[in-house]
Order: sequence, then structure tokens, then C-alpha cells
Amino acid sequence: MDNSMANQEAKAVDTKQIKEMLNRRKGKMKRYLSYCAHCSLCAESCFLYMEHHKDPRYMPSYKAINSLGKLYRKRGNVDRKLLTEMKGIVWRNCVLCGRCYCPIGIHIPSMIAFARSILRSQDVYPQLDEVSSESWL
Amino acid sequence: MVDFIRGQLILISLLVFILGLIYQLIQFFRLTKEKEWVYPPLEVKSEKKTAGKWVSLCLASLNGTMWKTYPVMTVMTSVFHVFLIVVPIFLLGHNMLLDQSWGLSLWSLPESITDILSIVILICVAFFLARRLFLARVRAITTLYDYLILLIALAPFLTGYFAYHQWFNYDTVITLHILAGEVMLITIPFTKLGHMLFFFLYRFLIGNEYSFARGARAW
Repeated sequence: MDNSMANQEAKAVDTKQIKEMLNRRKGKMKRYLSYCAHCSLCAESCFLYMEHHKDPRYMPSYKAINSLGKLYRKRGNVDRKLLTEMKGIVWRNCVLCGRCYCPIGIHIPSMIAFARSILRSQDVYPQLDEVSSESWL
Repeated sequence: MVDFIRGQLILISLLVFILGLIYQLIQFFRLTKEKEWVYPPLEVKSEKKTAGKWVSLCLASLNGTMWKTYPVMTVMTSVFHVFLIVVPIFLLGHNMLLDQSWGLSLWSLPESITDILSIVILICVAFFLARRLFLARVRAITTLYDYLILLIALAPFLTGYFAYHQWFNYDTVITLHILAGEVMLITIPFTKLGHMLFFFLYRFLIGNEYSFARGARAW
């Protein structure tokens, strides 16, 4: 493991900054989250879901609820372990192709993209130039 | 003269309006039947389509839509949501109460029909519950809250059904029915039941931004 990876894990999580970011966009994002009817009809619109033998963890709604949804539910009080888990969800399980379809019209990609921004602010992101593409997964 | 304007002319104008529109519709399809080529036409033979071919073409047009991906769920959810709105609004009992208190009322569906429609709604709710319980992908995102929301949507119809058939203690049931309706009204704006409003906002707002509006509003 090189230095930057070590840094990624050692640095304390700046929950204040996360809270600020969450607060700034809470109007739209919390409405997206709260109006999601948990109907799972978005599932088939995700090619990753289809390719992974319909594994529910690849459903667009599952990914949004378990990344951004969790950040809001915990009001930003998260530790590095949780953020690292989310890293897999928002970068590996979703490629932000923007093809997911919600019958209620919730814009799922913007939730994933926002979760990525928050994670990036805490130095949690895949560093493909420094580690092999598999090892961060 | 005034009698003519207020009497026969209304009928005449309506007839002209409808027959004229039908005439123009027929003309449109008659005139567009022959292809007019700006460039010399290619030698394309359009095949005579059999009934089976037509059916498969119609089905193919559903590819990539919810009708094709989840036919049962699509029918169930459409039926559920339409009746959810229609039944309480056009229920005889509700309209009689409206008439008594405000002196106005809407049309009413026959009670035998609303009775059946309530059962249809209850069946739909049972279907949604079964999905939540038995489908892995729905269970993956289901929390206790989702069951509570389903209960809030179910309660007015279940208690209403009991009240109409005078099962159990009528006074208690009708009070519960009113309470259930009130709880639903209060929770709609602030819970995921808010998709009642936001469904239409998203649909028409986005479509509008792509056509008539300035495209300045981003959802």
C-alpha cells in the first residue's frame, strides 16, 4: 500500500463538511429520497443489475438509498468504514450512465453523483492510477 | 330570432362541429394515403401484413416500456391508483354528506360498483404486500416504514368497506374510517405518498421544459 492510500484511510472524517454539503442540497435530495416509493421498478433499467443476474444490490434505488440515503439518515455522522463501503456502491456498482428510469421521475443519477462529491470531499475515491483497478473493489 | 339562437342553433352548431371534424379527419387520412415523393421512389414493396404480424408489431412497440417489463405490476398499479382517486370522490355516501353540509355534490357511482371497486383496491394492496414480502429486489429496499405507508393507504378502504357492510360496531368503524382518511390526507404531502403530487410535477414539468418553457428549470 502506498502513501496516498494510507492517507485515505488515516485521515479523520470531516463530518462538519459533510453536513454542510448535505444541507446545501437537502431541498431536492431529501425530496428525492422521501418520495421514492421503494417500488423497485427502476431495477431492469440498469444494465449492471441485468448483468449481475438481477442482484438487488445493483438496483438504482438500492444504490441511492444506501449511499446518499444513508448519509442523510445518519445526518452526516459517518465513519471512514461506512464511506469506504459507499465507495463501492457509487463507483463500482454504478457508472453514472444515466439510463435508469424512475416511474415517479426521481433523478437517480444526480443522487449518486452527489454522493460521489461528498465521498470525494473526504478523499474517498478510487485511485486507479495508483492501485490496480481490482484492488479497490 | 333569439329563440333560434338559444335553441336550434346550439344543436346545429354542435352537429356542424362534430360532423365537420369527422369529415376533415377522413380527408386527412384519404389525402395522405398516397405517398408523394420528392425524390424518385425506391423500389420498395410493402408487404401485406397478416393479423398475427400486426399483433407482434404492436407488442414490439411496447419493448422497453413498463408494460413489457412488468405487465402484471403495471396493470395492478394503474388500476389501484385510478380507483384510489375515483372511488372516494364518486362514492354515493361521500357525495350525500357533501350535499348535506355544503349543498353541492358530484356524480355518484352506483353503490354496487364502488363496493366491487373497493375490493379491487384491497386486492391490489394485497398484491403490493406480497411483492414486498416475497420479491428479493423489493425486500432489499423495504423497511418497516414501507409497510406503515401501505397500511395508511389501505386503512380508509378497509374501514370504509366494513362501514358500508355494517360489520362490527358501526360507530367505532365509521370513526376509524374518518380518522384513517384524515391520516392519509395529512401524510400525503410529507411522506412518500407525496408521489401523488410529484408524479405529475416531474412528468409535465420535464416535458414542458423540453418544449414550451425556457428550459431554465432543472429538476
